[in-house]
Amino acid sequence: MIRLNNLVAAYRTGRGSINAVDGVDIEIPDRCILGVAGESGCGKSTLMKVLYGDVLSPMSLASGSIEYGFNDDQNKPVTSDTIQKQWFKRISYVPQSSMSSLNPVVKIGKQFVDFPGHEPNKRKVMEQVKTYIGKLGLPVEILDSYPHQLSGGMRQRVMIALATFFQPELILADEPTTALDVVVQKEILLLLMELQEQMGNTIILVSHDMGVHYQITHRMLIMYAAKAVEYGESDSVFAAPLHPYTRMLISSLPTIGDESARNGIPGSPPSLWGELGGCRFAARCPLATDKCRAEEPPLVEHKPGHFAACHHAGSEIPAAGEPIWQ
Amino acid sequence: MGVVQYIAKRVGLYFAVLFIGLTITFFLPRFMPANPIDGYIGELQSRASGSLTSEAIAELRDNLEQLYGLKGDLFTQYVSFLNRVVLHFDFGPSFAFYPEPVSNIILNALPWTLTLLLTTTVLGWALGNMVGLVAGYFHTRKLATLLEIVGIMIYPIPYYILAVSLIILFAYIIPIFPLSPTFPVGDISLSKIWLIVYNSLLPAMALILAGFGWNILSMKALAVATTEEAYVTYARLKGTSHWTRMVRYVFRNAMLPQVTALALSIGTVFNGALLTEILFSFPGVGLIMRTAASGGDYNVLYGAITVSIVAVATAGLVIDLIYPLLDPRIRHK
Ligand SMILES: Nc1ncnc2c1ncn2[C@@H]1O[C@H](COP(=O)(O)OP(=O)(O)O)[C@@H](O)[C@H]1O
Ligand code: SF4
Ligand SMILES: [Mg+2]
Repeated sequence: MIRLNNLVAAYRTGRGSINAVDGVDIEIPDRCILGVAGESGCGKSTLMKVLYGDVLSPMSLASGSIEYGFNDDQNKPVTSDTIQKQWFKRISYVPQSSMSSLNPVVKIGKQFVDFPGHEPNKRKVMEQVKTYIGKLGLPVEILDSYPHQLSGGMRQRVMIALATFFQPELILADEPTTALDVVVQKEILLLLMELQEQMGNTIILVSHDMGVHYQITHRMLIMYAAKAVEYGESDSVFAAPLHPYTRMLISSLPTIGDESARNGIPGSPPSLWGELGGCRFAARCPLATDKCRAEEPPLVEHKPGHFAACHHAGSEIPAAGEPIWQ
Repeated sequence: MGVVQYIAKRVGLYFAVLFIGLTITFFLPRFMPANPIDGYIGELQSRASGSLTSEAIAELRDNLEQLYGLKGDLFTQYVSFLNRVVLHFDFGPSFAFYPEPVSNIILNALPWTLTLLLTTTVLGWALGNMVGLVAGYFHTRKLATLLEIVGIMIYPIPYYILAVSLIILFAYIIPIFPLSPTFPVGDISLSKIWLIVYNSLLPAMALILAGFGWNILSMKALAVATTEEAYVTYARLKGTSHWTRMVRYVFRNAMLPQVTALALSIGTVFNGALLTEILFSFPGVGLIMRTAASGGDYNVLYGAITVSIVAVATAGLVIDLIYPLLDPRIRHK
């Protein structure tokens, strides 16, 4: 189990400091695929960076902590301060763009062994890599190829192979398929899912595509303006979303046979620079009341394992078509 | 596929450059108002205090024109020039050291120039890029800025000032090196080699420094840009060491434009080498050219210019042919 204890990640800039992740406090059970969704700029990538332990200026972990739930070689629990030593051992990540994430002038195979890893004998690792690549159903020749010789889909499979080869406890993937066409996207996600099932690791997957989340995740975290606004089992979240924002995200999903163009959610999230009193979604929320504008809703468990941060969690949104927001 | 095309293109370009270069060296002097033979005959005449008869002069002119390939119309001359130079490496005899063939004079000087040029170019490139790489890779640290300042300070100094400063500094103020170096000729012995190396150090230093500043600055800029590439970030997040990232990721990629730049600048480098030879009395092609130019030794001058064109074009070709070995995107299209 991974515990995020009231995580706050801040960016220090010329005009002051903003909290791009503001008090996320959740528990992620082992062996699960957690989907993270929310509009652009809501802090998904920042959360992933903090989780990975890639905290570089101007970003900082302003407060809070992470317990990863596994121990290091000295049998001490791994925390945000020591996770860096576990990179590509017990935690790995799938980058967004496979095209630009591989060294163009070095053979793919060499890029499997150019970091410390567990095993100092590179030749031995190379043999294991070959076996593993074969097991994934990928042609072994790709290890002798250069990145530009492979298709985009094949390269992204290589990235998945790299991230899973060491059987890490935790794999982070921040929009790992955005650059690919839909068919390849699906194949890649299925591969990731299959491997997760075999290895039993935890995957945290950021995607703006609610359809992807619906198909492959076990749990969902919905973020809005640096806050966790809903968290729970995917079945429960998709069947009965508690937060109006989640409802609107889900209803913006096209359904089969529905040709009408789906609009995004009208309006835009508040600036993290401004005054952030009350519920951050209030300005766009069809259910907003005075209480919402005055009081910040905490993330509370409404049903077993299903959390939401809303004063009117679970209330029906008035039928579409009515001019509910002015 | 890709490589064959690439090589064919470069080699084709190489021969085109050679052809154009040779053609220009052929035509340019022929458009000059002064005829070298007139000058030569005039000189002989004045030495003989005007005692040459007009028949003797006509015969001499005939012989000289034969000798220097100035017989017949322009086209005949051009064809026979190409034939002599390309097929026989024959530039006729030297005026000043008649009847020593120009090709001998040049072949004696060429190894000197090539050795000096090759060593200093490779060293200057390697050192400049090494410093630039460290400065660029660690560009967020203060100490690295110091390295860049070295480049900024050396880069704008004109080459001849650099060379003369070195002479003043290390041959005059701190007399480590001789003011007028002597280079032994004839058979090579161990003591001679030492003398040659010792006397070549100052000109070599000047040449290395000349390329140093530019290489620092341009490598630094390239390395900074490369550290921002996604593959370097990914390598960092894989847990690779600084060394691996700096060498295998940043340098291996940032060096490619630097190799191309070297191929393009090899002409300038060659010019610098010629100037160095004159300033340091180094017995290479540059010194020969200087002597020939001041003595009106046209054949030697043509020969030296032709060889220079061939040398520069060949060096460029060699670098271009090495390039696919460094960049797999050209090797495996
Ligand atoms: N390097 C940075 N400096 C300052 N602010 C940043 C930086 N990176 C991200 N931010 C801010 O942090 C917020 C969250 O960004 P991010 O985590 O990338 O969002 P997402 O991945 O959900 O689109 C945004 O408002 C963005 O403006
Ligand atoms: S707290 Fe109020 S404004 Fe915020 S989401 Fe819930 S209903 Fe809407
Ligand atoms: Mg993002």
